[in-house]
Amino acid sequence: MRWLNKIGMRVRSLMRRERVDSELDDELRFHLERQIAENMAAGMLREEARCAAMREFGGVDQIREECSDMRRVNWLQDFAQDVRYGLRMLRKLPGFTAVAIITLALGIGANTAIFSIVYAVLLRPLPYPHPDQLVSVTMADPQAGIPSNGTSYDNFREWRDQNHVFTELAAFQFHQLTLIGYGEPLSIDTAVITPGMFSVFGVKPLAGRTFVPADGNNGAPAVVVLSENLWRDRFGSDPKIIGTSITLDKKSYTVIGVAPASFRYPPLTSTEHIWIPLQQDPVFGPWMDRPGGHWLRVIARVKAGISLAQAQSEMDTIDARLAKKYPSENTGWVIRLVPLQQQMVGNVKVALIVLLGCVGLVLLIACANVSNLLLARATSRMKEMALRAALGAGRARIIRQLLTESGVLGLVGGALGVLLAYGSVHALASLLPSNLPQASTIRVDGAVLTFAFALSIVASLLFGLAPTLFAARSDLHTSLKEGGRSSEEGARHLMLGFLAVSEIALAMVLLVAAGLLVHSFLTLTSVNPGFNVQGLTKSEVDLPLFEYSEPEQWVAFSDELLRRLQALPGMHDTAEAVPLPLANGFINLAFDIVGTPPPRPETVRTGDFVSVSPNYFRVMGIPLLRGRWFTDQDRDSSPRVTVISEALAQMYFPNQDPIGKQLSFGLPPAGEVRREIVGIVGDVRDVGLNQAPGPMMYAPLAQSPFWGTEIVVRSTLGPASTLANIRDQAHAIDKDLPVADVERMSDAISASVQQPRFRTMLLSLFGAIALVLAAAGIFGVMSYSVSRRTHEIGIRIALGASSGNVTRLVLTESGRLVLIGLAVGIPSGLALARFLHTLLFGVSPADPVTFLAVAVVLGLVALAASYVPTRRALQVEPLVALRHE
Amino acid sequence: MTKPIDLVQGTLDMLILKTLALDPMHGWAIAQRIRQVSKEVLQVRQGALYPALHRLEQQGWIKAEWGESENNRRAKYYSLTRAGRKYLEQEHANWERLSSAIGVVMMNPVTGNK
Repeated sequence: MRWLNKIGMRVRSLMRRERVDSELDDELRFHLERQIAENMAAGMLREEARCAAMREFGGVDQIREECSDMRRVNWLQDFAQDVRYGLRMLRKLPGFTAVAIITLALGIGANTAIFSIVYAVLLRPLPYPHPDQLVSVTMADPQAGIPSNGTSYDNFREWRDQNHVFTELAAFQFHQLTLIGYGEPLSIDTAVITPGMFSVFGVKPLAGRTFVPADGNNGAPAVVVLSENLWRDRFGSDPKIIGTSITLDKKSYTVIGVAPASFRYPPLTSTEHIWIPLQQDPVFGPWMDRPGGHWLRVIARVKAGISLAQAQSEMDTIDARLAKKYPSENTGWVIRLVPLQQQMVGNVKVALIVLLGCVGLVLLIACANVSNLLLARATSRMKEMALRAALGAGRARIIRQLLTESGVLGLVGGALGVLLAYGSVHALASLLPSNLPQASTIRVDGAVLTFAFALSIVASLLFGLAPTLFAARSDLHTSLKEGGRSSEEGARHLMLGFLAVSEIALAMVLLVAAGLLVHSFLTLTSVNPGFNVQGLTKSEVDLPLFEYSEPEQWVAFSDELLRRLQALPGMHDTAEAVPLPLANGFINLAFDIVGTPPPRPETVRTGDFVSVSPNYFRVMGIPLLRGRWFTDQDRDSSPRVTVISEALAQMYFPNQDPIGKQLSFGLPPAGEVRREIVGIVGDVRDVGLNQAPGPMMYAPLAQSPFWGTEIVVRSTLGPASTLANIRDQAHAIDKDLPVADVERMSDAISASVQQPRFRTMLLSLFGAIALVLAAAGIFGVMSYSVSRRTHEIGIRIALGASSGNVTRLVLTESGRLVLIGLAVGIPSGLALARFLHTLLFGVSPADPVTFLAVAVVLGLVALAASYVPTRRALQVEPLVALRHE
Repeated sequence: MTKPIDLVQGTLDMLILKTLALDPMHGWAIAQRIRQVSKEVLQVRQGALYPALHRLEQQGWIKAEWGESENNRRAKYYSLTRAGRKYLEQEHANWERLSSAIGVVMMNPVTGNK
């Protein structure tokens, strides 16, 4: 219990310091009085006795301090006192304080905000029990360069039945089904899953139940699980909905349960979605019986105590077995287990780490700047420090005091920064690419606050250390002398210069990163997609497959809709295509060239396939290079035709005329059909702006029908009236059809570059902050330098130096700083830019234009920052300056 | 800022504990007693006594109470705690061992290879 007692005593000492002090005084006084009495008894006079007693006792104050030290409370009192003093100093210099705190708040706030994103996306464990056990089971074909793909239902079933390493395996696909009977027909994101999905994640239903294995049996009744948000928004959170039927694609499904909003797997864009068993889906259900194909994605939970490596080796064994059983599908393919979190994060990891690194540089520059300010202030405090030292403060004590002051500054800046982050996280979240995984969980929470706190402390040490050591080093003698110009000041000037150079170098690195991303983004967005984006809007209509099961129905519908739309005023230029470029994905199909031997398996010929209405090329502005476009005469009954892209022609028909040749390709129901090439059109970037256009082949919708259609309109009508037109006409044909919102094609394209835009914007912001901070740093150094050299400048002017000479004097110095900064910054920028290469499009990491532009900008900014100091130098009055010390 | 505990300080601690082993005492009396018992060989600078007393109290070897002094004045009396008594016994044993070891070394005649 000794420690308890000790704590009690220490607390008592702290809480009732006055009483403890007075007790100590009493105790010491008692001693002295006894000694005086003793001395007097030995025959001394009173005064003599007192002096002797004091002499024998030693310095009372010193002893009192030592006693306090023994109680180990002094450092706490000192700390509290230093904090109070630090706060007082901050209040006394509002200008300095405001600049320093705003600088730090910007630095720490930006870091905290970015960290909250990084934490949510990369670090925070997925919101499921034992998230580290969740793995994505993918297939890869290393020789063909396919890093990750799905699998067939056969493979999935074998994996599930043969393995001993997973507690559960589940497979899934996505689809959209149309919900009717609850307001406007709604196209719902649908996760098409095997029943084990919910137990893989250990998800408990909010109401009702989730799937059981029997729900996956053939002939089982059609059931559906609703997401919490859909349940709330469309069904008013009505618990009675469970057990009733809803109509999806005109087929009846029984609602069996509601899953909580926190469960978002498979990852769908909309939070209003549903889960249905695989065999109940009109598209994918029939695929379960087809051999082969890589259409199912698989997720699994590894048994407790089984490592990823063990699970992997078991799957390797199963894979080898399956390669013998189904050689045509599995040869060359291997199974790869990837932790789910790692898989979800995928391509955003690099971008986020680059952002975090860059925002870290911003903080470093901010620290250098505050360091700068503190150094400048240290001059005015030199005498204070000397006085403290003279009064007996030890070196360590002074360092402690100064570091505490830095800490106070850092924490106040940090607190403000957290507020800033708290406010900006909401703004950031609205700018975030919608496909960022776990983006909904971004917030300033305990972990983020801890990070901000730790960062504030680290920053305080960083910016506080140099000024503190300088202050503590000052030796008494020179400092107490008025205006002692010593080697101190030279060293301090050197330190300021070092800080300014570091700031320039860091800003250079940051600006290079920002510049490269901006350059890359401009290149990306100015790339020609292959069609004319201006004035285009798009929409889509899905046909419920259960009711519209015949291809003839699909063709009739798309023809009828197109005819009706084109008849409306302003809607003449309406076309249809599935799929539209840069919007809803793409369909990559293998094809054969009729009359040539089939290629070796590893060099399979593929092209992106689009089914279009005859006027599609004209409406989109895709140029015809040779031959003809489709016409209304290309019907189901007429010979099959195709139009190919320039890339396909060049790749597969070099030095020959493809017109008249035949390709064999297609999707069911018009599968492997021979189609004669009748035309060649320009290339289109259909996958993404950053993907070079690949070979493409087009077929008329009438000869290659789809259930539902995508509509593109070139019109001066706004999106609202376009949407009204499409909705009216679709509903005039069938009132239960869902019509997706109309979107400008340009908006769809800019949505496809959300991620690059987001990181480019943020990095540009960081670059701008860095530039301002670096300018402030240069300004500080030059101002100090000019004031230090006032005397010298005065002499020069007195001796006849022209204003040009003086200007050159100042600018030479700032120019030297910039040159050294660039000399360090350019190689660092080159070294670090290599990490950016996966984020760049059409720009080399060593892009000379960017580097040159950044160097010029930095140079100009440094020049501007030296303007005021130069003017001050020019205004030096020789007479005043000569007296200046 | 902690002071190195040198031999002198360690010795002072032990002398204080030993002195308090008999009776509770106030600081001045402890100083007097040490001087008397050591036959004036050991002169404790009186001031140095108090930090030592506060440290020992902090460590829990001794405890302090205010009481009446011989001449009816309020004085702070220190007494040994149970832990302090145990510590003293332990230190005493250590001291015996050390001093006898030193004694052996010092008493043995120096043998050189003359």
